[in-house]
Amino acid sequence: MLVMIELELRRLRHDRTEIYFRAVQPILWIVIYGPVMSGVKAIPTGGVPYTDFITPGVMIQTTTFVSIFYGLMMVWERDSGILKKLLVTPASRYSTVIGRSMASGVRAIFQALIILPIALIIGVRFIPNPVYFTLAFVIIFFASGGFAAISILVASFMKTRERFMGIGQAIIMPLFFASNALYPLQLMPPLLREFSTVNPLSYVVDAVRGLLITGDLSNLLVDLIAVAVFDAVLFVVASISFRRIIE
Amino acid sequence: MDVAVQVKGLVKIYDGKVKALDGVDLTVEVGEAFALLGPNGAGKTTLIRILTTQLKPTAGEAYVFGLNVSHDGGKIRRLVSYVPQEMSVWTDISGYENLLIYAKIFDVSTLKRGKIIDEVLENMGLTQVKHDLVRTYSGGMIRRLEIACAMLIKPKIMFLDEPTIGLDPAARKVVWERLTVFKKEYGVTIFFNTHYMDEADLYSDNIAIIDQGKIVTMGTAEELKHSLGGEIISFMLEGSNFKSELPNKIRKLGFVKDIFINNSNLNVLVDNAEVALPHIIDVLKNEGSSASKVSITKPTLDDVFLKYAGTRLEEKGRISDVTHMRYMIRKG
Repeated sequence: MLVMIELELRRLRHDRTEIYFRAVQPILWIVIYGPVMSGVKAIPTGGVPYTDFITPGVMIQTTTFVSIFYGLMMVWERDSGILKKLLVTPASRYSTVIGRSMASGVRAIFQALIILPIALIIGVRFIPNPVYFTLAFVIIFFASGGFAAISILVASFMKTRERFMGIGQAIIMPLFFASNALYPLQLMPPLLREFSTVNPLSYVVDAVRGLLITGDLSNLLVDLIAVAVFDAVLFVVASISFRRIIE
Repeated sequence: MDVAVQVKGLVKIYDGKVKALDGVDLTVEVGEAFALLGPNGAGKTTLIRILTTQLKPTAGEAYVFGLNVSHDGGKIRRLVSYVPQEMSVWTDISGYENLLIYAKIFDVSTLKRGKIIDEVLENMGLTQVKHDLVRTYSGGMIRRLEIACAMLIKPKIMFLDEPTIGLDPAARKVVWERLTVFKKEYGVTIFFNTHYMDEADLYSDNIAIIDQGKIVTMGTAEELKHSLGGEIISFMLEGSNFKSELPNKIRKLGFVKDIFINNSNLNVLVDNAEVALPHIIDVLKNEGSSASKVSITKPTLDDVFLKYAGTRLEEKGRISDVTHMRYMIRKG
């Protein structure tokens, strides 16, 4: 399992361009969208500036992007012979799937970290507590692992890049907009609010926002349990469907 | 001899309609190089994928070192290494790192790891470029790296799916030289698919010819060629007047199967031309004749294929396809 994380780190050491380019979109959100919308003052954020409010949401949106498109790499590896070869090693499919998912978590952490300095420059105030920071990134790491498992699951059904690209977008955007990333859940119509209670993204955003910005940790335990359950379920399901990918 | 691979009545049907394998039986002995020769779509890759536990057979049984591919997948995967037809290394890290990752996946102990990796890099002639990104390698180097990955774990059997497809002749030769040395040193069994006839001819101990999901014939390259009837030695004799008893004298040599004469050419049909030739020349000398020109016509595996499968192996189109695909994959 750890080998797959090592693989990812070695890849990142050789080539980080993807991370830089992927950072463009979230930076636009917090540098342009945030300040513009905060001028409107239409969204109740519980007393924190709007840009500060959306920063964790945007960070998590971008890490979710990274994770969901991790499956694209699996599709690529399927087209080449890498997956076939991996399946002929003694490594169990559970360790392969979990290893790959957590490897995506590593990539996600770097992706989230790169946004921090920009956020600081434009004046987002984080809670200066190293324990909170560490815990926030641990949550991002595990949540990204779960989203990567979703993408491996999707990859094992959608075996071509084109189909995968379409499905990837169709998964991420609803998750993002039907979550508390950009606005509090109370603003949503009731049906959407129902949906957001099963949207893992909301729990992750809530936990990370509490730890980095508001200091409101009242839901932290529920959030942690939600992420753990989410990971456990997805790891098992993705592992079961994984063999299908090469058939 | 111990048996490395045993296949009995193997059938594989994809999606309930495409019959890729139609009752395959074959045996591979430990320590031999076994070539599965056949045209595209004959079922070669399907057979290798079943033997490496990637696919389940629809019917029939297959054993690798006595382990059933349907039930003992985990145990088999510890004994075998596999090089798929497509490219199977990560191109965005170095050759050394690829090997390191595989060594860790296979739990090669930390103490031995460095030594073994250096050894296989050396074996495959990649030491100079080990820290370069695989993206910068040539096709032949990538193939050697893939085989290095397969050698890393000192498997009991290697399954190679078209190991030299798309490589130029020099690169193919290098790959096979390294494989031959490895086989000799470690006694590893090599099971490979190919549609290059010369490759099956030169580098295998046994060949099975597969066509439309069925093994049509099996044997050593020599046996297969001899099954066509033998080799022809033609002598162009000096002067057209040789003694009339000459053909009979030659016929008396035990190994001569037939003789026919046209003009001043004397044609002798034998099993093994190289062995027969000196004896026949002796007879010619004793009878006071000499040949101004000698030529040997040997049946090729292509002739064998023609006889048993009814068609010639068409290789051109397909090779350029695969080369193109590998190229595209490398480009990402």
